[in-house]
Order: sequence, then structure tokens, then C-alpha cells
Amino acid sequence: MTDDGRVREFVSAFEVLRAEVEKVIVGHREIINHVLIGMFAGGHVLLEGVPGLGKTLLVKTLSESLELSFSRIQFTPDLMPADIIGTNIIVEDADGRKYFQFQQGPLFAHIVLADEINRATPKTQSALLEGMQEASVTVGGISRPLPAPFFVLATQNPIEMEGTYPLPEAQLDRFLLKLRVRYPAIEELNAIIDRTTQSRPVAVERVMSGAQVLAYRELIREVPVAAHVRDFASGIVMATHPQWADAPEVTRRFVRYGASPRGAQALILGGKVRALAEGRYNVSVDDLKALAAPALRHRVILNFEGEAEGIDTDTLVSQIVESVEASTAQSREPFVR
Amino acid sequence: MTSGAALDRLVRGVSAQVRRRRVEHHALRGFFWASLPAVVLLALKGPLGPRAVLAAGALLLAGALLGGVWGALKHTSRADAARLADRAFGLEDRVATALEWGERPDRTSLVAALVADATARVERLEPRQIVRRILPREARFLPVPLVAALALTLAPALPLPSPRLPDFTPGSQEEDKDARTGSGLLEERSKPEARERLRPPAFEEREFQARSGSSTASTAGDLSAVFKDTSLSSQRPDFNSFLKRGDERLKLLEQVDRLPDLASDFTASQYKMVFRKSKALAGGLRPDQISPQKLKELLEEMERLGRKGGNWSGDVGEGMEALEGGQTDKAMEAMQKALDKMRAQEEAQRSGKGLRGGRDTDRGGAGRDRRGGDGSGGEGEDFGEGEGLLPGKGRSTSPKGEASRRLSATPYDVGVEGESRRGRKDGYDTNMTGRGGPMASRLHYLGVIGQYRKLMEDAITREAVPRDYHSQIKDYFQALDER
Repeated sequence: MTDDGRVREFVSAFEVLRAEVEKVIVGHREIINHVLIGMFAGGHVLLEGVPGLGKTLLVKTLSESLELSFSRIQFTPDLMPADIIGTNIIVEDADGRKYFQFQQGPLFAHIVLADEINRATPKTQSALLEGMQEASVTVGGISRPLPAPFFVLATQNPIEMEGTYPLPEAQLDRFLLKLRVRYPAIEELNAIIDRTTQSRPVAVERVMSGAQVLAYRELIREVPVAAHVRDFASGIVMATHPQWADAPEVTRRFVRYGASPRGAQALILGGKVRALAEGRYNVSVDDLKALAAPALRHRVILNFEGEAEGIDTDTLVSQIVESVEASTAQSREPFVR
Repeated sequence: MTSGAALDRLVRGVSAQVRRRRVEHHALRGFFWASLPAVVLLALKGPLGPRAVLAAGALLLAGALLGGVWGALKHTSRADAARLADRAFGLEDRVATALEWGERPDRTSLVAALVADATARVERLEPRQIVRRILPREARFLPVPLVAALALTLAPALPLPSPRLPDFTPGSQEEDKDARTGSGLLEERSKPEARERLRPPAFEEREFQARSGSSTASTAGDLSAVFKDTSLSSQRPDFNSFLKRGDERLKLLEQVDRLPDLASDFTASQYKMVFRKSKALAGGLRPDQISPQKLKELLEEMERLGRKGGNWSGDVGEGMEALEGGQTDKAMEAMQKALDKMRAQEEAQRSGKGLRGGRDTDRGGAGRDRRGGDGSGGEGEDFGEGEGLLPGKGRSTSPKGEASRRLSATPYDVGVEGESRRGRKDGYDTNMTGRGGPMASRLHYLGVIGQYRKLMEDAITREAVPRDYHSQIKDYFQALDER
């Protein structure tokens, strides 16, 4: 198959998969797109929203649309690392001999739903860390790979903070994108009511295999990125650092720590998936602008003034992108140079 | 892999548009900056004549041309042009990415599809002007010099200030006045009124009271009261004449060679002059190192001085003989002897001219007679036995001496009146009051003027007076003689 054919196939598969999810999930087109972008980019996605907005349903529907294993972990304060990774248990064979056998935890699945991840203790949260970053877990000195593709979708509730353990910055940085699930509009709410109150549930078909997902991941990495687009991504990430010489005023005033290089990777990888999903063979500046908020909102740590002022990180990132775009456009103006 | 021809064509077209805009942009800048000296040239239209307009036009043209050339020479990279095309045509960075990746050796498999896609999209584009015109900042201010240049071109030449100083002579003032009265301009007619208004009120309202000792009656507001002791008291202050005199004095100062050597001490005695010359001649040198010529000149001068009453001519003669014999040391010794005698005579003369008491006039001619003759009287000879300034030492029976006849006659005919000054109160303005009495203070004028003239001739002969002042001194005494 030619490259052009592969791209067209990906575009088609992307649209089909999204359509399957949208059979269940009403609205949230952007959230669905970003979840798929995170999956095809090989990253993990954190969904944040109040209860009842369909976060868990979205992930479940996605897993049902893919020919992939799925496991759901409901994080609670008493959840232990072994409960998600697995543990060695003593097994007795037919001869009566006993030996240790590794009993895989729920993490050993292609798609893992870490529901209300901020309710688990940091110890358990960090157990998830290795799996998310290395796609493998180590139990009893033995490293065990997780199945590929491995995709963690975590949810957390931003309002019920009592008895929760906010994710540390290191673990937040492992998520490629952080999506904010917003309340549906009234038309969407009506559609949700209609769909969920019928006697016959909606059937979701499996439209994509794990192998296809892996193949598309390879294809996505071949999407070329122009130097000025890459520079734009670097500029955005650097502009989130208050110590940077050319940082905008909002960053200097409200930001304590800026985004890590993973932020730039997330921008470029997400941009590649977005470009290819739109049938484009290159990443554009618009791709980066569209993905700036989900890729950076959890990587920018506000300082005390930012917290006290109630600064929204999405607004902050938007202002940073605007300032970088203005400075970049100005510096690239042919008349000026 | 090379980029498609359509992409190259697009980029070249955009580059050409950018170049054209740059030419416009920088030509406008050059035009603006050239307009500033052009305005200056047009302001000098008077001295330069019609050439100023031509030069200004040429300057504007050259500025615009240079700016345009500068803009045309600026390079536009392909990447910049491609990005500009992407933005203008909404190609979402396809052209820039295709151009960049089409030439890279590590291009991915999707690059070919990207180039083909970009080429297909570019071929569907309608060519249009995509580079907007950007006016330079100077363009906002361009109307100012242009309007100024236009006005200066159409208006008559500006009058320029003359490098000569204004003529303050009265004749020129008369001419100006005539010219002013002859002109019909309103503002020029109003000038004299304005000058009157500008007189300082203190000067206008001040009244100078005639002092009691003044012999001439002055009226209120008469400025001559200020100058009553000067030659200006009888006339209005004339600044022009003052300037004229100043010019004459300045011309005199330019004649440096005719000016007296004010550094020299002409009041010094003959002995001091000769002593200084001898000291300068010796200068710490041994007798054999002294210039015989200069020593001879000094001895000759001492001999000339000795002929006017000195008693050192013999010593000078010995010195001259020793000098002719080549004995410089002996000549120096003889000169030293002559100097000693000269000093002795100087001291004797000075002792006779010391300060004397204020009442020596009352003491009659005894004292004068004693000081007469050769003038060699000592200081103790000023007063007779039992006389002096101390109370009770005079010939008067009064402990403080007798009052003068003048004071005893009218004690109020003379005096000093004054008033405290404004300000720091550290002095008084004083004025002699009283009228001149019929006292016999006059000497026989014609009797003494001859003596003074003789002394003057003597002083001039001794060259104690600079040569340039000889004629003036003689004129002065001649004027005294005529009275």
C-alpha cells in the first residue's frame, strides 16, 4: 500500500472509531478526538470532570470499539500497588509441590481505566508510574512487559478533594494530554436522555485491532514537521518557564514551574496525529495551537499568586501561545528582517 | 527528491512581491530622510538661488532611489516566502514543510505524498497579490517636510541674518528712523511706542535731588544729576559716542609696541634701577664670565647719572679704565663703589622727603627753610626743639594745638554729611558740604608753573617717563601755562 493509501486508511479508521464512540457518547467531539489522539500518539490521557459526565463511559465505549483487552481499576484509598500490578502467589501443582506464580494485576491490559485516580495513595499512584512510562512492571525483581498497545485513561474529580491525594507533578507529566470534560449543552443533554433511557442499549462494534493501532502509531511518526513549526512548539514550552529571558509577563507573574520537554513532545506527537487525522501530511502551527491547552495545562504549575488569583491554566496557556505567536510572526516578517 | 515546479514558481512569485514591497518601503524611507536636507536647501534659496530647488529635487530623487536599491538588495529566503504563501493562501504550512523536507536526506516516506499534495493545492491557486504594503514609520511624518518644501519653493527667499554687526552710529539711526517713518507698515509704525513702553519704570519715575553742595541747579527727573561730576552731566548719555571712544581705545591697545611696560617699576629710584641691572648682569657669575660689553653699558649709564649731581663719577671712571685693561674684577669693584655712593645719596634724599606733621604750614617757613638746600636734612629736623605732634609739645598753648584760622572763623562752613547706604550698612555715602571760602589757598600760579615745568623737563630727561607720553605731558603743562 502506498503512503498516500495508508494515510487515507488511517483517516478512515479514525473517523470510524470516532463514530463508534459517538454512538454512546453524546457531544464531547473534541474530547473524543483528543482521547484518540492520545491513544494513537502512544500516550496516556487524564480525564478530569465532575461526576456523571460520561468519562468512564467514554473509556468503556472506546475499549469496546477496539479489539483490545480492557480493565477498570477503581482507585480507593486502601488500594495497594499489588492490587493493580499483581503479585506472586503460592500455587500447588498436581504433585503437591508449591511454587510462586505471578498473578497479573488489572494493569495488564491494553486499555486501563484508572477511575478516580486521585483517591489512591501516592504509593499506589507511583506503582502506576512505571507501567505508564516504561510499559512494564517489576515484581519480585522480574520485569514484566505490559501488553502493547498499552493505554491508560485516568479520571479524576476536581471538586471532591477531601480524602484525595492529588497526583504529583511527576505523575501528571506522564500523561500526554489532560482533558477537561465539561458539562454538556442542553441539546446534548436531551440526546443523552433519549439514548440512555431507551429499552434497547446501543451496540458498539469493534472496528480496530491492536495491530492496526500499532501500525498507525508507526505511520504517525513519519509525518514531517517543518523547522518553524518545531520552533513554535519549543517556543511555547519555553515561554511557560518564568526563568526564561523571553518569557511573557503572565508567565513571570503566575507560573512557578513550566512545562517539561515532554510537553513539547506531546505537542508535536499530538500535532502529527491531528494532522494525519485531517488527511494532512504535515504538522501545522494550527495543530500545535489546538493541542497546546491539553498538552500543557497539567504541566504548568502556578505559583502562590496564580493560585490566589484563581488563574485558569487554560487561559494562561492561551495567552502564552498568543504571545509566542505574536513574537514569532513579528520576527519572521520579511520586511522587518 | 526535488520540490515541485509549482512550489518553486509560487515561492519565486512571493519573493518578487516581497522585493517590490521592500523597494516601496525603503524608497519611502529614503525619500523622507532626503526631504529633511532638501528643506534646508530650500530655506537657503536666497543665497543659492534657483539651484536650491534643483538640488532639493535631486536630493529627494537620490534618497528615494537609494532606499529603493537598498530594499531591492535585501535577501528573502525561500523559507520566508514559503511561510508567507502558506499563511496567505491557507495552506497550513504545506509549502514550507514540503520545500524543507523535499531537500532533506532523512525525509520520511510521507514527504513524497506531502509534496504531491502541496503541489496539487498550489496549482489550484489563483495568483494574487499576497504581500501587503507596510508603510514605514517615517511615512506618518512625511507630509511635514513635504509641505515645508512646497511652501519654501513657492514662497520668496527667506531673509537670512547678516554676519556683520549692527551699525549703532547716530547717522545710521537717523537713516533707520527715516526709513521707518517712510514705511507704511503698521507694525513698524508702532515700534517707537513700544520702545517708550519698555522703559523701566524705576528710571522713569525716579527723581534725582540736587545735593546741597552742587553748584548747578538740577530739576526733578534730570538725569544729568547722576553724571554731575563727569563730562556727561551736561548731555544725554550717548551710547554711540561711548562705543566710538571704546573703539579708539581698542585701536590704541592694538599698538603693542607703543604701550608702556607697566611691569617695570618706574617709580623706583635710580639706585634701584642700576642695582637691578648690575644684579642681572652678575647673575651669580664669576667676574671673568661677565659680558664686558654689558658691563661697559652699565658703567656708561652710571656715568651719565653721575653727571646730574652724583659723586660717583670718579669710581665709574676707574671702572671704565679697568674694563679697557681687561680687568673685569676691578671694574666690578669700581661699579660696586659707585653703587654704594648712589645708595647713600638716595637714602639722604629719601630722609628729607619723609612724612611730616600736618601743621608744618603753621610753623612757618622755618621748617621749609631747614628742608631746603640740598635736601639732606634728617627726620629729626622736621621739628624744632620742644615741638612736635604730641599734646603740649607744640608752640600753641592749647594742649591739642591751635585750630586753623579757617576753622576758627566759621566752624560750620565746611563739613561732611552723609547717609547710610541701603543693604549691608557697611558704609556711608558722603558729600562735602559748604562753599568755597575766601581763604588764601592760591599760590602765585605763574610763579610756580615755571618750577613745575622745569621739574617736568628734568623728569623727562631722566627717562623715568615712557617716551610715548612725553608729548602728552608737555601738552598738559602747556595747557597749564596758557592759563
